Amino acid sequence: MGTRTNGFFPVIFLTLIVFISVAALTLTDAITKDKIELAKEDEIARMLITLFPQMDGFTYDEQNDLYIPLAEQQPLGHAFMAEQSGYSGVISILVGLEPDTTLRGIRIIFQQETPGLGAKIVESFFLQQFPGLAVDDIKLTKEGGKVDAITGATTSSSAVVEGVRKAILDKLNQLGRET
Amino acid sequence: MSNLIDIFFGMALVNNLVLVKFLGLCPFFGVSKKLGSALSMGVAVLLVIVVASAVTWPIFHFLLVPYGAEFMRTVIFILVIASLVQIIEMTIKRTNLTLYNALGIYLPLITTNCAVLGITFINIDQAYTFSESIIAALGAGAGFTLVLIIMSGIRERLDMADPPLAFKGTPIAFITAMFLGLCFLAFRGIIR
Amino acid sequence: MHSFTKNFLRGIIRSNPTFILLLGLCPTLAVSTSLDNAVGMSVAFTCVLLASNIIISLIRNHVPVRVRIPVFIVIIATLVTIVDLMLQGFIPALSKSLGMYIPLIVVNCIILGRAEAFASKNSTTNSIADALGIGIGFAWAMILISLIRQLLGTGKLDLFGRHLFTVPGLGDNPVAIFLLPMGAFFVIGVLLALFRWMGVSTGE
Repeated sequence: MGTRTNGFFPVIFLTLIVFISVAALTLTDAITKDKIELAKEDEIARMLITLFPQMDGFTYDEQNDLYIPLAEQQPLGHAFMAEQSGYSGVISILVGLEPDTTLRGIRIIFQQETPGLGAKIVESFFLQQFPGLAVDDIKLTKEGGKVDAITGATTSSSAVVEGVRKAILDKLNQLGRET
Repeated sequence: MSNLIDIFFGMALVNNLVLVKFLGLCPFFGVSKKLGSALSMGVAVLLVIVVASAVTWPIFHFLLVPYGAEFMRTVIFILVIASLVQIIEMTIKRTNLTLYNALGIYLPLITTNCAVLGITFINIDQAYTFSESIIAALGAGAGFTLVLIIMSGIRERLDMADPPLAFKGTPIAFITAMFLGLCFLAFRGIIR
Repeated sequence: MHSFTKNFLRGIIRSNPTFILLLGLCPTLAVSTSLDNAVGMSVAFTCVLLASNIIISLIRNHVPVRVRIPVFIVIIATLVTIVDLMLQGFIPALSKSLGMYIPLIVVNCIILGRAEAFASKNSTTNSIADALGIGIGFAWAMILISLIRQLLGTGKLDLFGRHLFTVPGLGDNPVAIFLLPMGAFFVIGVLLALFRWMGVSTGE
């Protein structure tokens, strides 16, 4: 079997390789697709459980982009993601609401703020200010709200506060329109 | 509109390809010794990144996603980039021989430049629209060129300086990159 | 057998991809923030390199010269995608922390370089030796850098969730800059200078 450097052989060879590649990948995708789905669900479950410890499952309301954590088939409240530009990049926040839509709490899912300053938004001393706050109180204290900013990290703190408040207002608006 | 400006400067400065995302390091240290070659490489990379983004975005959204073939992303994108580089190289060779000679061997090297493939991935992962992708590509390429030019200026000076023998050449270049990165840290917070 | 050992050992020190050849730096610097990442990336990288070298050396006499590079690229890209999908499905935590640097293995100059310079011209056994050697070379470079960065940047050493030890004093006040990109540049700059000073010449 020689290798002819002219004619169509090179192209045929390449096409053959591409076909084999597509076949191999389709096979791999078929094998891993469910596992990947499961892994993603697992990740979301792990996120939700930090806000709803009694949760044993959840459903996703696609129409409203809402997660509904469940305990024995009963809904424990609602949860959704909020995103806000922080000091250095986007901050992703998980917002949890009680069934009566009061704020249950928040968790920072993703941030790349300055370590030692803005990054402290993930710490409990900051986050524990949020549970139970009324929507109008979700502002920094210097703006009349009830959340103390982190010293030296006003931008990050205010980003979290703004992101949470906007997301709750938007979500309540959206749901209000439904019922 | 402000969103596009955010994306441009975000990619160019805050999330600078080389100093923050570690993409495009090989040409960065290989080519940054002289201002002329740095400029050529930067422009070439900018060109390829923008064209690659423009081509891969529609392929992903109109070809791969509808058929559930997102997993073909890596293979398809790299093939597209490799072909693009060939095409661009041939086009430049035919239309502008001086430019071709200036860019020289840098063009084919761009295929293996992690920056190009990296940006095409980022465009997808950040769920950018088509125009956002182009702006991101422009920003990334501009940032890359900027850093390359600054680096080459510094290195030309460094050649005349006298660092400890063990540091001469590449090691001191890395230390320089560290300082450059530190300076760029100051850009954080300009996007609000 | 002698050539197997020779090819194997070469990749570890004399032709070390990171410190001597200065190739594939992008992933090395980007993910070397923790030991877990270093080990994970090294294993993924070596798997791809091994598979790529084996496959390419097997078909090396049948590949038409004109389409050589595209063929190599498709093969490597396929292998990388397989590794990527497998990781996402079976070790999602690692997939998340390595992020897009796994698919970026495809443009890692090391793999294409070995395919072009070695696997396409040598026997399969030697190609395996080469891949293993380079893989180990890459691995220990990654691990060294990650060790330094993690120890100085967080003060602690963790491996796969098991806490190994904490540096006294640093645990509460780590030098966070080592976790940032500029820390990586610093570490590798100093390491390169150190090796140079110890008499190992870098290829420039």
